[in-house]
Amino acid sequence: MPLLEIKDLHASVADKPIIKGLNLTINPGEVHAIMGPNGAGKSTLSNVLAGNEAYQKTSGQVLLDGVDIDDLTAHERARAGMFLAFQYPVEIPGISNMYFLKAAVNAVREYQGKEQLDAMDFLDLVEEKKKVVKIRGDLLERAVNSGFSGGEKKRNEIFQMAMLEPKLGILDETDSGLDIDALRVVSDGVNALRSPERGFLVITHYQRLLDYIVSDFVHVLVDGQIVKSGDKSLALELENDGYASWVGE
Amino acid sequence: MDLASLRKKAEAGFKAVGFPSTKEELWRFTDVSRVAASDFSSEWKSSDLAFEALDKITVVFENGRLSREKSNFDALPQGVCIGSILDLADSRIGTLADAENAFVTSNTAYFSDGYFIELTEGAKLDAAVHVVYLADVEGAAFHLRNFIAAGAEAEVTVIEEYIGEAGRKYWTNAVTEVFAADRAVVDHYKIQRESAEAFHFQTLESQLGAGAQFSTHAVTFGSALGRNDIRGRLTGEDGEAACNGLYLLKDRQLFDTHIFMDHAVPQCRSHQLYKGILDEKSRAVFCGRILVQQDAQQTDAVQNNGNLLLSRAAKVNTLPQLEIYADDVKCTHGATVGELDEEALYYLQTRGIDPRKGHAMLVFAFANEVLDSVKCTAAKTYIETLVQDWLDKVDV
Repeated sequence: MPLLEIKDLHASVADKPIIKGLNLTINPGEVHAIMGPNGAGKSTLSNVLAGNEAYQKTSGQVLLDGVDIDDLTAHERARAGMFLAFQYPVEIPGISNMYFLKAAVNAVREYQGKEQLDAMDFLDLVEEKKKVVKIRGDLLERAVNSGFSGGEKKRNEIFQMAMLEPKLGILDETDSGLDIDALRVVSDGVNALRSPERGFLVITHYQRLLDYIVSDFVHVLVDGQIVKSGDKSLALELENDGYASWVGE
Repeated sequence: MDLASLRKKAEAGFKAVGFPSTKEELWRFTDVSRVAASDFSSEWKSSDLAFEALDKITVVFENGRLSREKSNFDALPQGVCIGSILDLADSRIGTLADAENAFVTSNTAYFSDGYFIELTEGAKLDAAVHVVYLADVEGAAFHLRNFIAAGAEAEVTVIEEYIGEAGRKYWTNAVTEVFAADRAVVDHYKIQRESAEAFHFQTLESQLGAGAQFSTHAVTFGSALGRNDIRGRLTGEDGEAACNGLYLLKDRQLFDTHIFMDHAVPQCRSHQLYKGILDEKSRAVFCGRILVQQDAQQTDAVQNNGNLLLSRAAKVNTLPQLEIYADDVKCTHGATVGELDEEALYYLQTRGIDPRKGHAMLVFAFANEVLDSVKCTAAKTYIETLVQDWLDKVDV
């Protein structure tokens, strides 16, 4: 069964149609990249998938693990195994990263019928995941994303993904605002999380992220539709030729 | 002036002037006619109210009088003295609390008891002094007078906690004067848990010498009508004053905070972070005034007041006031009145946290920011529990 199936998806923001008939299938273990110019609908796609109520799905179908996610709210989708790494992670002063992560991990575990982690088990899990995603300990003690640099925020996103162990990771322009070192650390984290069961949807404007996260499939998103699909060589093609030929049509 | 004359003068002043009206600028939003119209008794009894000792040293007042049995301040290190204000002869009493409003004058005239803490030069008290005021006499007025004097380089932590029996109507009227000599460190907390029917007023005055550090955190849960008047006088270079607070209000509670930070000399820092969570028909008033006098160059003053309204009927009047006469200073202020950050709620949801829990987390986080600067662990843990209890009851 495919991990994610998007069938003829249409979606709007403030009544303005943005996604206009998008089809995509991601099987377990696959990494798909969606590339597109500004305004193509990249962020709308990730937000519609994650369940942001400011974005309206107007028609079509989205199945996660064969289950229609229409009736699931954002937190239910997260519990069902979807994870969105934000382009602009939100700062939440007053909640420590550790407290936040524990609440999230236990919410997901409860849904999955697993036991709640106590403080000790949780710390063990944190230590284990810190090896996968290199993140400084003091960032975990601080308030969620509060005063973090751009790179630290993105690293925190990937760390959360490691902690929550989703079936599907969606990376919404994770590379934006990152220097090469940060990009490498974040990519290493994602690569370490690749598994035969887990799928990824990597949404990006630039090809350079795909130098580090090697995709099985690359799709070009223009004006709310996928206009071309191919393997990783398509990304290089775009790098050389840009989006001009697509946008012009 | 000796204390007896001071008290006589204050009584005359109180009788002549009476309570302030809302026509006065400083009392515009806070109508105290209910206090003025009440008759208060001077009946006394011991109190059965329970409290939780937060550290090794406790000073307990039962209905306005020191209880030696319930208190524990016998084992003190050298250079530290704690006792009843009635046993203190210090000419500094009343020199900071010189406002001529009815709350200060009636306190000076009629105070029945209060604590004093004196530390000689370099004396340090590791344990926090937990001062508990228990109130359970219907219709009583409690005029409490407190005095903290920390000598040069002395260090002390004081937690004032006001506890009232539910349903009781009474008036707590406290004045605390704090003298922090050069490089002294005074860390003050006030936890106000009066009954929801009570009146509570406190004037907290502080004077800081060079390099002194004074911080106060005022956390308010109780009283139908209440006000904190907080004034800091920075009189020596490199002094640092922090006035932080949190008010959690519901029903028809009205709570007013007036701060006046007076920068008289160069190179001092002052911070104000006040947050409020208001439910139902409650009201908050926040007026933070910062005065930077002409000589007070390189002043660094920050003021922030954030309010979260859980009900459309709740209301806040927030008035930042900066008065700056020096030209080389850094002063900022900000005030917000709002609802929860929807983006933050969505972010929590995308991590599997349901909206109800996310909402509660964000409200707690909003309040918790004030507690970030709490240095005293015992106070922090205790206040966090009280805040959580309050939030659990209002069904955010």
